[in-house]
Amino acid sequence: MLVIRSEKIRRVLRVALPFAIMPAMVLLLPRGLQAQHYALVTFLMTGFALLLFLAGFERRELGTRRMILVSVMTALSVLGRMLPVIKPITALTVLSALYLGPEAGFLTGALSAVLSNFIMGQGPWTPFQMLAWGMIGLFAGLLAKPLRRNRLLLYLYGMVSGFAYSMILDIWTTVWTYGEFTFRQYGAALVSSMPYPVVYALSNLIFLMLLAKPFGEKLARIGKKYGL
Amino acid sequence: MRAFDTMNPAAVTVTLILAACITIFSLEPLLLGISLICAATYFLMRNGRRHAAFHIGAIGMPLLFALLNPLWNQHGTTVLFVINQRAVTQEALVYGGVTGLRLAAVLYWFRNFSDLMTSEKLFYLFRGFSPKLALVFTMAVRNLSLFRAQMRKIQTSQRALGLYREGHLIDDLRGGMRVFSILLTWALENGIITANSMSARGYGCGKRSSFTFYRWEKGDVALLLTALVLAAAVIAGILSGALTWQFYPQRIPPAMTLQYFGAIAAYAGLAMLPVIYEGKEMLTWHCLRQSI
Repeated sequence: MLVIRSEKIRRVLRVALPFAIMPAMVLLLPRGLQAQHYALVTFLMTGFALLLFLAGFERRELGTRRMILVSVMTALSVLGRMLPVIKPITALTVLSALYLGPEAGFLTGALSAVLSNFIMGQGPWTPFQMLAWGMIGLFAGLLAKPLRRNRLLLYLYGMVSGFAYSMILDIWTTVWTYGEFTFRQYGAALVSSMPYPVVYALSNLIFLMLLAKPFGEKLARIGKKYGL
Repeated sequence: MRAFDTMNPAAVTVTLILAACITIFSLEPLLLGISLICAATYFLMRNGRRHAAFHIGAIGMPLLFALLNPLWNQHGTTVLFVINQRAVTQEALVYGGVTGLRLAAVLYWFRNFSDLMTSEKLFYLFRGFSPKLALVFTMAVRNLSLFRAQMRKIQTSQRALGLYREGHLIDDLRGGMRVFSILLTWALENGIITANSMSARGYGCGKRSSFTFYRWEKGDVALLLTALVLAAAVIAGILSGALTWQFYPQRIPPAMTLQYFGAIAAYAGLAMLPVIYEGKEMLTWHCLRQSI
């Protein structure tokens, strides 16, 4: 991507390549392949998209402070994942994206997934969780302005991302159990995972309601105290 | 030859990931059985008799899947019996067992991977990819234990202040929220102080090197090459269709060709690598103790 001069095109490509072009390839490529290799293609593409996006951070000026705060938020959400039933991981990812930017949001989500899976159990689903939480953070960061202004919109985003998380993970469930991807099987997987999306959405809502205001205040206080 | 967990983390990771990935994308019972046995043997060699619950869960998986699959899978021609006007076929039973076997093997491989990969090894791997990411990752790992300790301190002081009533649900929840809020304030502030002191010491000006324990030695390269060659042989076998089973509508195993046995043998070699390294180490230790 070094060849492209225009900053704007590069920025669009950096988001579009991992999240639009490669998923499209996943859906189109295996038409010619045997069904058995479908899972492999999906898995590799997801891993590749992640690597591609993460590699972009090396050349970005994220700033020391923001990097440290990302590591703080990651550790907090990993600690939070040990709570029973309701998990604050999405809420914390969204909040750090709102105040630290889309890249920081992606990093917080993706790293929390890997780290907490060392406690909860790693598996072939790890890249999908990384991608799902990372994207929730990324889009929260891109929509930061309206989300920060309107509390209701933030709650809505939290609930929608609960469902979205489950939908992204069900793509993997479908491909893994059936060895192929058709919308009928995907629908069946969505229905059979039914209690979980609701639990995710509700726990996101609860934690955003509890944390959104204090979190903003705390950051503002620190900004004043240390003159950021 | 050194112990498997002291080898270069990159070589170890490649070996384990290849063994696990081939397992994930295969539905050949023989290959899956070999995979499960090797992964479980290695796990037992490292952990002894601990983690009985994990073994029971993992071993029960094929049984559970075999019993559940016929419930929503009506394919297959050999009907065993009929419940509630739903046919339970032998093919569905076998397919469920095989997918369960696959899940059990994959769980063992990933468990081994998480056991082997300490945070400093992960740091080594991340470092090659992106030093910034590696820094964020290690600091998050460090923060985890730091925050846990801090949380305990906050809890103790809250208890000393008399803000807790034991065994009261509402009070517990409110207390938990308060502890988390205090922790959050402290963590953010602590992070800013850390960042300030890092930039005061010149973090981020110019290229930085980082310390690591690991180097590439001859043995590491040998391990990496062996793993890659064996995996390439298995993948070639899988892609050529020599290992493809047909489950529905009738069970048809692949032909017993040279290619089939070659691929299975190559996979057995790959999956045995950790066990071989560990076994050799145990043998050396045993001999050393005998000679005293």
